[in-house]
Amino acid sequence: MKRRTFLVGTGAAAATAVIGSPIALAQRNANELIWADQLPGNLDPHALFDVPMQGYMVNVYDTLYAYEGNPPKLVPWLATGHTVSEDGLTWTFKLHDSVKFHDGSPLTAEDVVWSFQRLLGIKRGAASAFLPVLDPKNVTAPDKTTVVFKLKHAYVPFLSAVPLVAIVNRRVIEPNVKDNDWGTAWLASHSAGSGVYVLDPETYRPVQQADLKRNPDHFKGWGHNKQPVEIVRRRNILETTTRINALIKGEIDATDSYLPTDQVERVMKSKTATVSQDQSMRVMVLRMNNMKAPLDNVNYRRALSHAFNYKGFISGVLKDYAVRNAGPIPANLWGAPKDLKPYDYDLDKAKELLAKAKAEGAPIDRPIEIHIQQHLAQTTQAAQILQQDLRRIGVTLNIVPNLWPQLTASTAKPETTPDMWVHWVSTYFVDPENWIGQMYDSAFHGTWKASCWYKNEKVDTLLREARRLSDQAKRTALYEEASRIVVSEAADIWIYNTIELRGLSNRVKGFQFTPVGSGAIFRIISVTG
Amino acid sequence: MTRFVLRRLLLALPALFGLLVLTFIMLRVLPSDPSAALAGENATPEQIAAVRKAYGFDEPIWKQFVIYVGQVARADLGNSIISNRPVASDIAWRLPATIELTFAALLFAALVGIPLGTMAAVWHNSPFDHVMRVVTVGGLAIASFWFAIILQIVFSMDLGWLPLRARYPDGVPPPTEITGLYLVDSLLTLRFDQFWASFKHIIMPAFTLSLGGLASIARFTRAGVLETMQKDFVHYAEAAGYARKRIIWVYVLRNSVVAATTQIGLLFGTLISSAVAVEAIFDWPGVGSYAVSAILTSDYKAVLAVTLIVGVIYAVVNIIVDVVHAMLDPRVAETL
Repeated sequence: MKRRTFLVGTGAAAATAVIGSPIALAQRNANELIWADQLPGNLDPHALFDVPMQGYMVNVYDTLYAYEGNPPKLVPWLATGHTVSEDGLTWTFKLHDSVKFHDGSPLTAEDVVWSFQRLLGIKRGAASAFLPVLDPKNVTAPDKTTVVFKLKHAYVPFLSAVPLVAIVNRRVIEPNVKDNDWGTAWLASHSAGSGVYVLDPETYRPVQQADLKRNPDHFKGWGHNKQPVEIVRRRNILETTTRINALIKGEIDATDSYLPTDQVERVMKSKTATVSQDQSMRVMVLRMNNMKAPLDNVNYRRALSHAFNYKGFISGVLKDYAVRNAGPIPANLWGAPKDLKPYDYDLDKAKELLAKAKAEGAPIDRPIEIHIQQHLAQTTQAAQILQQDLRRIGVTLNIVPNLWPQLTASTAKPETTPDMWVHWVSTYFVDPENWIGQMYDSAFHGTWKASCWYKNEKVDTLLREARRLSDQAKRTALYEEASRIVVSEAADIWIYNTIELRGLSNRVKGFQFTPVGSGAIFRIISVTG
Repeated sequence: MTRFVLRRLLLALPALFGLLVLTFIMLRVLPSDPSAALAGENATPEQIAAVRKAYGFDEPIWKQFVIYVGQVARADLGNSIISNRPVASDIAWRLPATIELTFAALLFAALVGIPLGTMAAVWHNSPFDHVMRVVTVGGLAIASFWFAIILQIVFSMDLGWLPLRARYPDGVPPPTEITGLYLVDSLLTLRFDQFWASFKHIIMPAFTLSLGGLASIARFTRAGVLETMQKDFVHYAEAAGYARKRIIWVYVLRNSVVAATTQIGLLFGTLISSAVAVEAIFDWPGVGSYAVSAILTSDYKAVLAVTLIVGVIYAVVNIIVDVVHAMLDPRVAETL
């Protein structure tokens, strides 16, 4: 046989085999969901705490209380209810007695105690919410269904922060503890929960993918959902355009909840997908370092607050998919004064205030810097808009690209904190404490949330009092007063409260948004077709 | 030849060490501290300091470097500070995806670029040559992310011929792992359905990635063939009555592709770095997308490991290219 004949023959045979062979690759199953949102950096719910972790945690783990709906309501979950002592120090939770972990072992009060001790022992993630008020040894279990927390001092937002803590299965984790690491290395790629979905660890690839399988034995049952999703395939698609195209094409069922506003119409026009538009509790804020001249001058800060083109940004850039927020507390949360007047865009007023600041000795000619998060386009856009208008009133603003880890590290000291930087404050827990409490009480100086280094004794007193009181009406009044002061002193520039935009395929039914976890609550979702 | 290969291997070691030093300095001297982000929401400076200590970020840079080099020498790339897993295992399942994509792109670039370059030289200054010039300049100039999106819209969204993203259909077990290269593994296990599925997924990313390389190879080949065609031996061959096809595709081409072969080696480095963008756009689960996430989170051990591994692959490919070069032109082996 000639070489050419041999090659042609072999090629033809291979081609026939390839083309002619049946494509035995399964189509998508009707009861599976492909959820293309960011995955947390690792899967240990006590080692990390951010928005992607919330989205994972609410499905794989249970918590004593949980948030539901929008605006979010705190509902008993593993707990049947709780009581608080009159002095606000002792919190007692009663548990359901029929809850089982994924391995079938019972979830008891001892597991709750161990979970809190683990969180406080690791000192990462959500631990910061509890470390100032809770000693690990003061979490006890008098019996199998009772957990008692004795706080160091009264702290009313404690209940709001309880959903931050996943209850983990000690029996699964402890055999995997190495070098007193509380099992963090192991739990980073496994699960030890009791939640509505179970991680399939074989499918887990860090930052890329994880499959979750339905837990048919979840203690809440499945009576509320006749067609539950059996498998949720979490996929992290880095590129926004690809995510959107994949949604429209039907390759995925959901994007993240920060769809670019210029893509909303495109998705809505498609026959395959829609966009869920939900007002969240996530405030965009331009931080100002109140300890660095000239930003230590209140009139200079007010001038900057009047120099930002809010309408231009919200309508022009965000196409009105955002709600102007006058102060630090999201306008749709209690504690935010309803009559709070936001700073308006007025360059004449800004010039006047600059002149005042100059007369007071502020070095207004010093160029200032604003640090943006370079992979988040909106931070650049906001900085550029401010830069243009500041130039018109004689202030030089330099834009410095940066990244979240570096920025949060820099906020430990006033001298290393940038003049200005841009970020959002998301819903970690639903209480004004999450926003104004931790952003403007000087006790939090050194943390990124309090990185404006604002200091006002009156505000400190109001916020500390608000933490102590259990009467919400009184707390509301205190937060409102604190908000008015902070806004009047232009501690920062608050821009908007987010409308989360999540692309959803038409297959998805029952999606309900809640700011905690951005609506990634799979137990209520069904898929059709 | 063995001596030649050994020498090339030894020469690669200082280059790799230099790469390690440079990357380490760039990552650790520039402000890059993930401690605060790791310590969590509202972590106090004390908590952040504890994290810094736990990861050894509080040690002097030189000490951190010595520790790291010691780890690398023991083949330990350390743990990712974000995923809290060994970086080596995080990269291990991604690396075959990047290698498969890069080699597919390189193969495509060479298989198409060399004949196109040869034809452009044979018919130089013809309309074909002019069109080729436009195409090759375009290939070098076109931004890969733009081209990728156009391909996605046309071949996936509009025509529905090819999958938009990923390396394999979601939720379908991939080919049995032998080499980790899906195309190879599916062929080795005679699963042609899996081969076809893998092939369909790799077409667009590989084509996008190959574009710049294809243009480059075509232009180098064209220049090489044009130069060789002026050599005396070609005229002798023509005078001796050899068929023109044989002269060009056998004798001229063999003497012309030396430059293009060297170019292929250099291209590998370019392709593997361009793969970062292509992988992100096509949701290709390779080391490129891992590197992007690692950079955004200041996961410096992951970034170092990716750089080092890519450096090693680059060095190995260049050694292979040098060997091929020496086989094509034995004078090369003698000069080194």
